This record gives sequence, C-alpha cells and structure tokens, in this order.
Amino acid sequence: MSVSTVTKEQFKSFVAALVDSDQNVVGVQAKDDKFAFGELTDANALRLDYDVTILPPKKYMLPQREALMNFEVAGAAESVQPDEKMVLLGVHPYDMIAINQMDELFSQGEYDTHYMNRRNNITIIACDVVTDSKNVFAASMNSATCDTGYDILLTAIGDAYVVDAATDKGQALVDMMSGANEATDADLKKREAVHEKNIAALNKHELECKPSFLPKLLEKAYDHPVWEERARLCYSCGSCNQVCPTCYCFDVQDEVNWDLKTGTRCRAWDGCLLTNFATVAGDHNFRKKRADRFRHRLYRKGKYVPGKIDGQIACVGCGRCVTACTAKIANPVEVYNTILETTELR
Amino acid sequence: MSKPRVAIFDFACCEGCQLQIVNLEEEILNLIDLVDVVEWREAMSEQSHEYDIAIIEGSITRPEDAQKLEVIRSRAKILIALGACATIGGVNKIKNNFDLNEVRECVYGKDAQMPHLNTEVTKAVDEVVEVDFKIHGCPIEGSEFAQIIRSLLVGKTPFVPDYPVCVECKAKETICRYEYNEICLGPISRAGCGAPCPTAGWRCFGCRGTVDDPNVEAAQEVMEKYDLTVDDLKQKMVLFNTK
Repeated sequence: MSVSTVTKEQFKSFVAALVDSDQNVVGVQAKDDKFAFGELTDANALRLDYDVTILPPKKYMLPQREALMNFEVAGAAESVQPDEKMVLLGVHPYDMIAINQMDELFSQGEYDTHYMNRRNNITIIACDVVTDSKNVFAASMNSATCDTGYDILLTAIGDAYVVDAATDKGQALVDMMSGANEATDADLKKREAVHEKNIAALNKHELECKPSFLPKLLEKAYDHPVWEERARLCYSCGSCNQVCPTCYCFDVQDEVNWDLKTGTRCRAWDGCLLTNFATVAGDHNFRKKRADRFRHRLYRKGKYVPGKIDGQIACVGCGRCVTACTAKIANPVEVYNTILETTELR
Repeated sequence: MSKPRVAIFDFACCEGCQLQIVNLEEEILNLIDLVDVVEWREAMSEQSHEYDIAIIEGSITRPEDAQKLEVIRSRAKILIALGACATIGGVNKIKNNFDLNEVRECVYGKDAQMPHLNTEVTKAVDEVVEVDFKIHGCPIEGSEFAQIIRSLLVGKTPFVPDYPVCVECKAKETICRYEYNEICLGPISRAGCGAPCPTAGWRCFGCRGTVDDPNVEAAQEVMEKYDLTVDDLKQKMVLFNTK
C-alpha cells in the first residue's frame, strides 16, 4: 500500500477516466446552494471542497427504500440481492466513521445480507474536510479525521492531493492515476497540518466532556427536564433521523401486485421521532409522548448503540440534525451540555 | 367468489381525482379485472343501487347531498373518501371563512336564491357519514390509489402515512424552505405525496390535511425563530385546512 501525491489536475483526469469506464461512479456535487452525493457523469461536477451533504452516504448501503424479497401470497419467497458495484467519491471522515459503525451493526447478530452486499460492493474514496459546515462538531466527537474503513483517503494540500491507499482495491485505483509520485516528507507534513486544522476547526458546537463519558452521563439523565423542555417544540417530523449517518432503523412493508397472488417486501427508512415509530400490534404505542421519543434518539446515540459496538458513540458530529431541525431543538451538544451543567456527577 | 362491486360518486369537486383514476391507463384494466364497476358517472352511463365499495369524491355542501351520501353509506359495506375535497373538505372549505349569503351572491349573482344553489357550510365526507378509508391529496396519487385498492382486495390494511411531508423531502434531499426563512406546511402535513411541491421549489400547501397529532403549541415559538408569525402560518393554511 502506498502514500502518493498527485496534482488536482491529474486527479481530475483520473476521475474522468473512471467516469468514462463501465464503473458506476458516485460523487459529491452541488445541489442549488447545498451538496449531495449523486451519480457522477462529469469529472468537473465533483466537488471535493464541499462542506456537508444533505444526506449522508448511508443511502448507498441502506437506500431510502429497497426491495428485500419477492413473494407469493401465502407461498414461496425469493430474496432480492443487490449486486451493483460502485466507487463512492468524497466521503468525509465523520461519515466514514459512521459507515464503520453501521458495518459493525449490520454484520453482528443477524447478518444483514442486503446492507452488507451493498457495502462490500462499494469502493470508498474518502477525503479530508476542506470547508467546514456551519454546524459541524466532528472534533468534539473525535471524528474530524479517520484512519480506517476507506480504500483511499485524499487530503487536499494546495494544488495537490495526498493519496493514501489503504486496501488492495484502493491501490488498484491509485495504480491507474498517472502522475502519482511517492509522497514526500513535506507533503506528509502538510497533511498533518490539515488534520490539526480540522481538529481545531470542525467544532462549531463544543461538547463539554469527552464523548466516551456520555454513556455514564446518560445513566443519570433519564428523568431530566431537558427532554420535555426541548420536545415541546418537536414536530415529530423525523428530519433529525433521516439526515443522520448513524440512524439505521427501517420499516418493512409488503406490497401486493395486481394479480393479488404475488408481491414485494420492501424496507424504507423509519425514524424514532415519528409518532408511530413505536406503535405495535393492537395499536399500542409505547413511546407516545414527544419527550419520550426525543430522549430515545439521544440515548441511542450516547448509550444504547455504544453498548453494541464497544463504546463507540453513535454521533459523529456531522451537524446535519442541527441544520435539518425546523424547531431548532435537535442539537445533541446542547442537550448533552445542558445535562452536564445540571447533573450532579460523582 | 364474485368480484366486489364498486360505485364511484362525486359531490362538490373538480373531478380531478376521478381523472387520476382514468389516468392509470393500462393499470385500470388490471383494476377492472378485479372489480365490477357498477356506477361511475365520469366514465360510464350505467347506474346501480347494489355495490360493496363506494368511492366518494368531493365535499358535501348542500342538504340534498348529505341525504344522498347517507343513502350511499347505508348501501355500501366499505366507504372510501377520495381526494382532498372528500377527506378534509379541501379548497371548498375556504368559503366557510365568509358569510354564506355573501358567498352565494358573489358566486351565483342573480341566481343566488335558486333552490339547487342552496349551499351551506362545506363538510368533509367524514363530517357527514362514517368513512372507512381515506385516499388523500389534491389530486390523489394514482399509484397510491392503486396500492390502497390492491391492499383492500387482498384483505390487508392499506398503508397510509401518519408522518409529515418532511420525511419525504429529506428522502429526496429537497432543501427545506425554512432554510430560506420561508413558511412551509410540511412539518404538520400528512405525507404520501412524495413531496412534489417543495421539490419543485414551492412550499407544501397541506392538501393531505394535518398529521393525526400536529404540534400546534409549537407554532408561535418556532415561527419566531424564522422572523415569521403564527398569522403568516394560518394564512397559508386557509387554502386546504380551513375548519
């Protein structure tokens, strides 16, 4: 595996060749005055200087809606398995860390073949953040930089990229880049400087404790007034869930075809803030109150999911929920800081 | 087993939701294979008093319409409200904001006192009779209509979202109108449409009515965060969400 340097022009030629090949290439592009991951058909449209995308790249591993199987009513069923290969260009470190967490969650216990097949077919070219978004707090969550999960990590240093190949798949792509030279010590120092800058800058909301303290903090916060104070303005619109790179809950629905004998089982994103997320058989909703649902999300991020993945905190500080929340109540840092400031900790 | 008999009736509306059914084109042949359509003024000339499923388009604005609807209800095993006029009263309810005599004068002029134009307060279908299922929208989504009908025919409760339009905007990565300090009814309005209006750069007009539990108390404080007022919000709700 190599660490090399290519000029931005040379990198663009590489992307153009990739786009012209038979590979499915997805990259970050402008969408009005925001950015979004989408199919890349023109290398010039790739925007590695983006601040944050509207949705995280999880939509390629866990699509908004996907078919799980085709069935005969009261009969046989056949699994639908995705097999499309993809190069995913421009994943930021916080999103990379979220994908790493999702990979663990979907492969532990009941191995989720739909998610994992999609994931294993994706080659990830990550990139360090160039422009900080207005609500990013990745540095507070130790996710301003990342060191695993990607096949290649790009770091912009002036007119060039440091290209760090971490896997054989990544190295194979680097081998296609004409003009790639071994990175010099000076290049690596510049990369180090980018990382240091991002660790300082990607912190628009500052968590007043180490993220690893959150599970312990939340042990004392179940009945804290902050849940009701904030949730009274909650629209239960689930926007905070939808844009979150670590929210992965889904609903499963069966749809029947016109023959009324066959159908398709689909799964679609769900969200724990939505009114009927916890409605079960008999129409019983065990999280009927907005405050209960609001609390649940913050407990998922800070306590429940960490309990499944060796204490990793399931908030990576992308700040998307802060931006997406119409009522402006979703900011996890504000919630955790409020609890920190008002809870007796021994 | 004999096919379920379906009758489609229209009251005060533009008949655009029925047109959406006609617009199913090839799919409508699948539908006709599965049911016997025994009355449908917009598409055929036959009539019948014998039916299992009644589909009601339009809102109820005259006493004789309410009586007719009650008769339909007594004959139908299942009654479905079709489209915003039927499910929430729709744009016809705008008139409920005004004096009814003035409304009649304004709309019908010298004919205002004619007996067949004796319109009263506009009601949604479920304000007159019990409704079993609602197919929302102005107009309805043909694909959602088809999905609901198929579900009913196979004996499955149809899926009708009780979450706001924001869910569908986010899924499509539509930029939120509130990011530009503009009012949108999305956070309180029922989804299922796929959010075509915000996606086209408009606000959500709320044609599917509100979700079952809209956060009304939040309105004032949240609007203030965008330098907007509750009156601004209410004004936008007149079109589809007049009581």
